[in-house]
Amino acid sequence: MQRGYWIRSKPIYGSLVWQSPAAAHLVIAAGEGGIAVLKLFQQMYPREPIQVLYAGQPKTGRDYAEILGSTVPEGLQICNSEAELLETLKTQLGNYHMGTQFYVAGPEAFLWQVMKSLGQVGVQDADVHKELAGTLARPVYCVHCKTITEAVHHNIFSCSHCGRKLFVRDHFSRRLGAYMGLMVDAEQPGNIPKIEEVYP
Amino acid sequence: MNTPAFKHETFRDDYSFSNSAEAIRRFPFPFPEDDYMYSVNIEQHEPGAPGSVLEHLIDIDEHYLAECEDRRLTLEQDPDRCIITPHMIDAQWDMVELVMESLAADYPQWFSLSKNGDDWHWINTPMGIDQQFRFGDASTLPMPPFEFITRQVQGDWIIMDQRDDDLFADMGMVTSQADWSIAFDAGMSFKEWHGPVPQANEIGVFDRALKYLLHLQYGSPVRRLNWTMTVNPRLDTSPENYPFWGPDNVSVTPENVGDKVYLRVELQALFRLPRSNAIAFSVRGYLISLNELVTYPRWGKRLHRILKGLHPDLSEYKGLDHYRQTVIDWLAPMDDGADLGLGTQPE
Repeated sequence: MQRGYWIRSKPIYGSLVWQSPAAAHLVIAAGEGGIAVLKLFQQMYPREPIQVLYAGQPKTGRDYAEILGSTVPEGLQICNSEAELLETLKTQLGNYHMGTQFYVAGPEAFLWQVMKSLGQVGVQDADVHKELAGTLARPVYCVHCKTITEAVHHNIFSCSHCGRKLFVRDHFSRRLGAYMGLMVDAEQPGNIPKIEEVYP
Repeated sequence: MNTPAFKHETFRDDYSFSNSAEAIRRFPFPFPEDDYMYSVNIEQHEPGAPGSVLEHLIDIDEHYLAECEDRRLTLEQDPDRCIITPHMIDAQWDMVELVMESLAADYPQWFSLSKNGDDWHWINTPMGIDQQFRFGDASTLPMPPFEFITRQVQGDWIIMDQRDDDLFADMGMVTSQADWSIAFDAGMSFKEWHGPVPQANEIGVFDRALKYLLHLQYGSPVRRLNWTMTVNPRLDTSPENYPFWGPDNVSVTPENVGDKVYLRVELQALFRLPRSNAIAFSVRGYLISLNELVTYPRWGKRLHRILKGLHPDLSEYKGLDHYRQTVIDWLAPMDDGADLGLGTQPE
């Protein structure tokens, strides 16, 4: 394709910035997303109630639990994994009301798992702010066997379920929270382009 | 085409699909001039000439039963080709009404609909369906209303919910698509859904199309044509089954090109739905082999020029790169370079 071509379904992430007006702030981060939380508090300490959920002990990258402990003024909860955080989030979402602003930072698969939980209780997309942090690893949906592989680093990878060699497209489904993976050698079996790490 | 016999034919395995002379004559050839680039090209979906694919709101032709059977087979293997989001219940009933009323009015020899208040009685004679149900009560149908009715009509149907000044693909029956997936694209906004299409965003096609569609009125449907090419008369050219049809793309030779390569034209019609305010987007595909197409030399010449001048990005996006040159070489001797004038007519 010519330069300038891009697929409009590909999410573009910004940097977290406190939103105003807000009834309350819920900050949800994992792993390197801790940096994005620290940046928020370097901006200011908002007047409204704050809660911060942080998943520490990441498989890669630094754990910001300790430094967050001395920075976040109130409402900090440290979880031991992303899975534990998502469970905690589900049990607490009922406590939030209209006007709460949501901030999410971490790897891409994490961002969209949080989005799914928020969507299930009716949170509007416009009230959720996302920052991609630490890694470009992509969640990828195998369009053939419908399995999502969570952290893909290469342009071509083997599906974690059906084993087909999949090419990672930029086409992104918000409902599934994943990019599309399409069999790369369907036309000419075994003809596989060079495999490169493009999502470190 | 008042009473076509419905053909027994297949769109997979032995690919016995073919067009009768009448079906070739009425084929919706999409190229009025020698060049092609994306455009909005939307017009009112008004009744066209008798016998043409535009005569009725929804076209039923000789391939009706075979296409419905192909859809049944695809759904049997992969139920996710029909996606229904819970909030689309009003739109499901809108679709039941649209299709049943249109077919019963336009093809009374095959379909009948009688109503007694909300008690409806639907008869689809070619498919052998005789169903009484209560309109608005999904428990009185054997499956979700949208699935029930779209299993009985040709073409794919995508129902777009309108909110926040955008259109979301929140429901769809998609079994005969040109390489896109409703399971993947469900819930996408209008521009996300069309995200991969090259060149069109750059020239503002989707901005203008979206603005136009947001104001689509009930009772004033619109239509446009789109096209691609397919190797073998396969309806299910889905990404899901790409491992099975992908190899066909490299099977075209100068000897088999006339038989194997098909022009695939989509008659896309858009209807505002009355209860849900959603938009029904129907994508009705017509297939014609190159051998059938060139029985009208004017079409053969035109297609030759279109393919020669096609933008490389469009060729890649439509998946034509492996065999486009073979098709051009095959058509070239049939093109004397004569001025064809404007228009899509066969002669």
